[in-house]
Amino acid sequence: MQQRFDRLVERASRGLARRTSRRGFLGAFGMVLTGSALMPLLPISRGSRAEAGEPAAPGTGKPMSPKASASDPNSCDYWKYCAIDGFLCSCCGGTSSTCPPGTTPSPITWIGTCHNPVDGRDYIVSYNDCCGKTSCGQCTCVRNEGEKPMYRLSLNNDVNWCMANDNPNYHCSVSVIMGVAGK
Amino acid sequence: MRLSGPSLLGVLLIAFAGNSALAATTAPEPAPPPLAAEHLKVEAMPAWSPHWLYAFDDSFNNETDARVWVYDGDHGRALGQFEAGYYGNVAVSPDHKTTAIATTYWSRGGHGTRTDVLEFEDNTKLSLQGEIVLTSKKAQSGAMGPFNLSYSPDGRFLYVTNLTPAASISIVDVAARKILGEIDTDACVLAIPSIDGTRHRVSMLCENGRLLTIVHDDAGKETSRSVSKPFFDVDKDPIFVQSVATPTGAYHVSFMGDVYEIDLSAADPRFPAVWPTVSAKERGHWRPGGQQMVAYHPSSHRLYVAMHAGGEGTHKLGGSQVWVTDTITHKRLARWSIDEKKYGGAFCMIATQDEHPLLFVATEKSSLLVLDATTGKLLHAEDKLGQTLWQLLNP
Repeated sequence: MQQRFDRLVERASRGLARRTSRRGFLGAFGMVLTGSALMPLLPISRGSRAEAGEPAAPGTGKPMSPKASASDPNSCDYWKYCAIDGFLCSCCGGTSSTCPPGTTPSPITWIGTCHNPVDGRDYIVSYNDCCGKTSCGQCTCVRNEGEKPMYRLSLNNDVNWCMANDNPNYHCSVSVIMGVAGK
Repeated sequence: MRLSGPSLLGVLLIAFAGNSALAATTAPEPAPPPLAAEHLKVEAMPAWSPHWLYAFDDSFNNETDARVWVYDGDHGRALGQFEAGYYGNVAVSPDHKTTAIATTYWSRGGHGTRTDVLEFEDNTKLSLQGEIVLTSKKAQSGAMGPFNLSYSPDGRFLYVTNLTPAASISIVDVAARKILGEIDTDACVLAIPSIDGTRHRVSMLCENGRLLTIVHDDAGKETSRSVSKPFFDVDKDPIFVQSVATPTGAYHVSFMGDVYEIDLSAADPRFPAVWPTVSAKERGHWRPGGQQMVAYHPSSHRLYVAMHAGGEGTHKLGGSQVWVTDTITHKRLARWSIDEKKYGGAFCMIATQDEHPLLFVATEKSSLLVLDATTGKLLHAEDKLGQTLWQLLNP
């Protein structure tokens, strides 16, 4: 399911990118993201959202015993960061899912799935950049599970996802849970 | 150890007494002549050498301050720098006299009015010789390679890649210092230049594994375009966008270590048979990785690939070894180890194009290694050059 979802978003975004102007693309892509967050086929388990200082609730999947750093949002090993390439916003004044004060989230991004070893679930996550200030410079993190080169833009973490912001200066990256990936 | 005031004075007095005793028995050495007065001047650039390297330092920890190092591989020393702004895309002209940098600046450092600009740097003086202001669309990708900004083989045109995320290229008349126009590239990326007879062309990689080729006229207007059949499988084994230019096109390597050649020497693009750098036993265990993981020396037909032992998702890991393969026989000639503990893995590589080639290797710790590209012998090492070396160029 998660692969199908990735491909769905990917096809939709690429098709839109080909067929529309920049402004049109952004609007439509935003709709895709919004729609994905509301997809009834994807049960969103808010209770298992793992934030800094907020331990993940045990799930009914296949719990594992992760190394401690997999539960530390300031560590690159944190499970939600499975395909982040950049600076962790949690080290820059934000959290794993919030931008630092004074920055602006990127309206466009790409979506992947990460496995939470604590509750055994796969989660759909949205990788967004926080923009408008120069490099945070803290907690560089490079992980690339499922990452693809730039010609498959919707699965790429090399490009500056701040590119469409009024100020496209890249500051740091977050990983925002959108829901549980279906089995 | 800390000494109190009186104790320290005591030690100094003892030392002084010792020196006095020595002076009583030994004639003093004559004082050396004073140093000559110095005169401040600016170094002149030496004569060009094929062993010069242009090394893009993204300055990732303060990315608005990228720069390009100019480095002399024979003498193992930096010659100077160009400023490269934010996410600069860099190309050196075919006559190696000019470095073009497409980049972004803000009027107030990291904020204020944004200006995208194509700057032309004089390689003989390391000074800015001109610029063209671009529309604010320039592609900003950490996957630096030879085709994010590229000269046509005759040096007449420059192709600036744009991504907003809609993809396009801007075509620049180099002599006139003028943007001729912008062409939509149908979501395909890069700008791989070629000339078919008198027709200037530019090719790019598409998400469905095809190659889009656009022909343009002298005014920068598109005259035709064609799309190839798929020549790689994006889902099963994607090819890196960071490739190496050849006299007729480019070599790309795939995540699993296969070599894909794009041959643009004929009227239509050709894709010679794919060949592996890894054995069947090594496949999936050893992989290419890093940032600019492939280099090529045409006359000795040697391909250099940064390789590491790792699984899926490790495609940005630097190489613990450099594998050397003959591009004609496809036989592996050597495996050269990189001192990962000291320098980090091999991250970017480029071979000089002369008959006594050097292989420059930038590492994950931003060390710069100078190797004999024939033997693999380490000739020189800069433990640290800049902050984050992400692209090496040698025209």
